[in-house]
Amino acid sequence: MKNWLRDNAAESDGLGRDMELAEAFGALDPAMYDPNYWLRFRGWVMSNAATELGRRRLMTRLTVGDVMSSWARALVPTAVLAAAIAGVLTTRPPAAIQAQPIGLEEQLIVEIPGDPAPVLMTPDIGEVFIVFASESF
Amino acid sequence: MVPVSFQMSETPTDGELVLRAREGEELAFGLLVQRYQRPAYAVAYSVTGRHEDAEDAAQESFLVALTRLDECRNPEKFGGWLMTIVRNRSKNLIRRESLRETDQVPPGAQSKVPTPDKLAEAAELRALLQSALEELPEIQRQIVLLHDWEGWKHREIADSLDLPSGTVRSHLHFARKTLRQTLQNAPGVPEIIRKAQ
Repeated sequence: MKNWLRDNAAESDGLGRDMELAEAFGALDPAMYDPNYWLRFRGWVMSNAATELGRRRLMTRLTVGDVMSSWARALVPTAVLAAAIAGVLTTRPPAAIQAQPIGLEEQLIVEIPGDPAPVLMTPDIGEVFIVFASESF
Repeated sequence: MVPVSFQMSETPTDGELVLRAREGEELAFGLLVQRYQRPAYAVAYSVTGRHEDAEDAAQESFLVALTRLDECRNPEKFGGWLMTIVRNRSKNLIRRESLRETDQVPPGAQSKVPTPDKLAEAAELRALLQSALEELPEIQRQIVLLHDWEGWKHREIADSLDLPSGTVRSHLHFARKTLRQTLQNAPGVPEIIRKAQ
């Protein structure tokens, strides 16, 4: 029986495309059994890629317009509010923002816990002490 | 069959299509699928050796490629990048299949589409080719299928597999030699081919 491949084809072709093998490999092509195979293949891929393609389109649009406007929507009110507060503070009358003066005594007792005055120096305690002393001596 | 990008210079390059597909342009991604569906299937088939696994791996690889399109650092070399995904996906599929330990259906009887009578012998040739390809190392299967089935050039295959062009030529030579030895010993092959055409 005659061989379908030339004996020396592999050696003599200079490693160009081997058309005999290419022809034989045609039997591996699913399109041989189903002429619409590659159309269906692509259809399956495209239908399953639709969500990701849609997401990418959305991201592209967001990058150009929507992201900028949403950024502006958040930034502009904040800036306006900050400017309003700054305006109020700067336009306030000086008298209104003067700090209340603190006296010397108040400064001395600030942050001291308990009764700042010595017990023996209070008038009531002093009188009691004097009475007690007179009775003792 | 020669990939579209190498047939028509006026068509958009892979780089242009990738950039447009990144923005969600359906037409651009569709062209990439159309351009690489056959090579992707060929590579997947070279790894899995089964039509249905090759189909699943190739189709899923396109979806993976789309979700990771921003990671394609050189859009002009989209084909090579995609083939890497296809190879990895196919290997993962085989690993999962072997874990499941499913029963193997005989080659040629796996197509969901009923085979017409006049193509029954082509299915026989398919089974013969499949067993002949199984004799080859995986790298040689990929190279011979991409070169002689899909019409890729040595340089394109070298880029895709990250191999020197000389290594690709060497693998191609030995792959063809082994295939021819196997197929020449198979009786009735010429009749099969004639009837299948």
